[in-house]
Amino acid sequence: MKKNQPKMLRRKTLGDTLFPYLLITPYFILLAIFTFYPVVNCIWLTFHATNQIGQAGAWTGLRFWKRVVQKSEFSQAILTTFKYGGLLGVGTFSLAMLLSYLSVKQVKGSKVYQTLFSLPMAMATVPVAAIYSFVFDRYGIVNRIFGTTRFWLADTSVRFWIIVLVTIWCNCGSSFLYLLVGFRAVPEELIESADLDGAGPFKKFFNVYVPIASPQIFFVVFLNILSAFKSFTMIKILVGTEDSEVCNLMCKLYYYAFVKERYETGCIYALVLSVLIFLVSRIQFFFEKKVVIYA
Amino acid sequence: MSNREKHYLTTHQKERIAVWVKILIAIVFFSPILLGLVCSFVPDEYLLIFPTVKTIVSNLTVKNYVKVWNGFPVFTYNKNSLIMCFMVIVMQIGIGALAAYPFAYLDFKAKNLLFTLVLIAMMIPGQVVYITNFLTMRKFGLLNTYLGMTLPSFVSGRTLFLFRQSYKGIPREMKEAAMVDGCKELRYLVQFALPLSLPSAASLAIMIFIGEYNAYLWPLLIARSSKMYTVQIGMEQMINPDAMPTNGRMLAAAMMSLVMPMIIFIFGQDYILRGMLRGGVKG
Repeated sequence: MKKNQPKMLRRKTLGDTLFPYLLITPYFILLAIFTFYPVVNCIWLTFHATNQIGQAGAWTGLRFWKRVVQKSEFSQAILTTFKYGGLLGVGTFSLAMLLSYLSVKQVKGSKVYQTLFSLPMAMATVPVAAIYSFVFDRYGIVNRIFGTTRFWLADTSVRFWIIVLVTIWCNCGSSFLYLLVGFRAVPEELIESADLDGAGPFKKFFNVYVPIASPQIFFVVFLNILSAFKSFTMIKILVGTEDSEVCNLMCKLYYYAFVKERYETGCIYALVLSVLIFLVSRIQFFFEKKVVIYA
Repeated sequence: MSNREKHYLTTHQKERIAVWVKILIAIVFFSPILLGLVCSFVPDEYLLIFPTVKTIVSNLTVKNYVKVWNGFPVFTYNKNSLIMCFMVIVMQIGIGALAAYPFAYLDFKAKNLLFTLVLIAMMIPGQVVYITNFLTMRKFGLLNTYLGMTLPSFVSGRTLFLFRQSYKGIPREMKEAAMVDGCKELRYLVQFALPLSLPSAASLAIMIFIGEYNAYLWPLLIARSSKMYTVQIGMEQMINPDAMPTNGRMLAAAMMSLVMPMIIFIFGQDYILRGMLRGGVKG
């Protein structure tokens, strides 16, 4: 049908020829200015000394690259980025799996906990960070519960883990909903027959739910790893972007480009981070074909 | 018979208990926010001395809220966030809906090449463009303007894809019938394709709203005065210890900025689920 369509009834006018281009012009103009040009410019700037307004000055070749890469804060930032990626990826995914398996049955009252589990996704990060900075405050809830008087967010041995925990809490909502959609797509007959065969909740989970929800599970795992690579707001609000053990590449990008106005250094961090993100998303595409079972 | 009924009742009761246990788990999960909510109604002097439940209950007050409301332009922050979200929703959907039409229906030169460009653009991580876009905005004098805050978000690969998919889902016969009746492409787009894609647009709008409302780094770079701060940026000013030295007021400010998106989320939940089904996962 598609192939032998009836011929156009009237002749193509100039307007007909131009019409598609007219529709896509705004899109591609913006794409050129705000996506393609910045990529080129970002690479270009790393080979120059930039001035205060971000214009490329003298050609410096790889000098800034060498300077950045040799610093210990660079490898520290990469390590921290991967630590966030791994911990937030695994942590958010596990919590979301647990909560969505708990909520998979639709019964009277299930909407209540379903809403509460997913609500963090609608909450802006900064107010949430504010509330958690109270929770972990000197006069906060955690100290009250444990009867301690610690400054949790100033303590270099635990604050990384606090950021991880709070971010897991924050990001869990959307993963929860994605997984819930996946789990609820499991046909009723399958669950019933598994029940008849005497499968317990664990067996049912691993042998019925997980394979059928595998597209969502796969998507959620990488969604969390990728968003963990970009985590920034929580770190900045809870601790700050000055050089410390909690700073990832995103913090360095912000610190050098927008606090210090060293744009070429900022661009180097931006490029490194983007290449990492790009590689992870390529891995995602590569494995998607092998791991995911599409019904 | 009575035995059977008993058995039925017990499983039914078990289910009820399970629901209540799950609600309890959810409340524990959500408790930091709930505790924050309670403490935002407690006067500051009691928050500094570890209040007991009794002092909390007998001293509830809205003083914190009044102080925040008087000390900060909270209304302006909310207004700015809404304007920003609204502009992005309208423009991103408008531009995406137009651009998707030729890719779904029409044949034109360089169609495949241009579509590949869209795909490549989607693969570029947003982090790489921040610095240059900031410099561009400064050059155009768009710092501290709504346009500067929203312009880079007007174009989105996800939106184009979603509309293309939605257009393709409309039965082909409909378009053929319209064409035979002398309908032109533009009229078909405006009168048929767009209205039929409204459900996709609605769930997309909610997703964009949540994303933009949560946007932090970009508004932080563009907004330079408190007149232009969004909720997120204004909130950061409010929790800055120099400006807002006490926990009570900080919590009150946080609660005030959480209310609106939470209400939107609770009522728009089903749309969000649908949006996730459509846009997020392939399969």
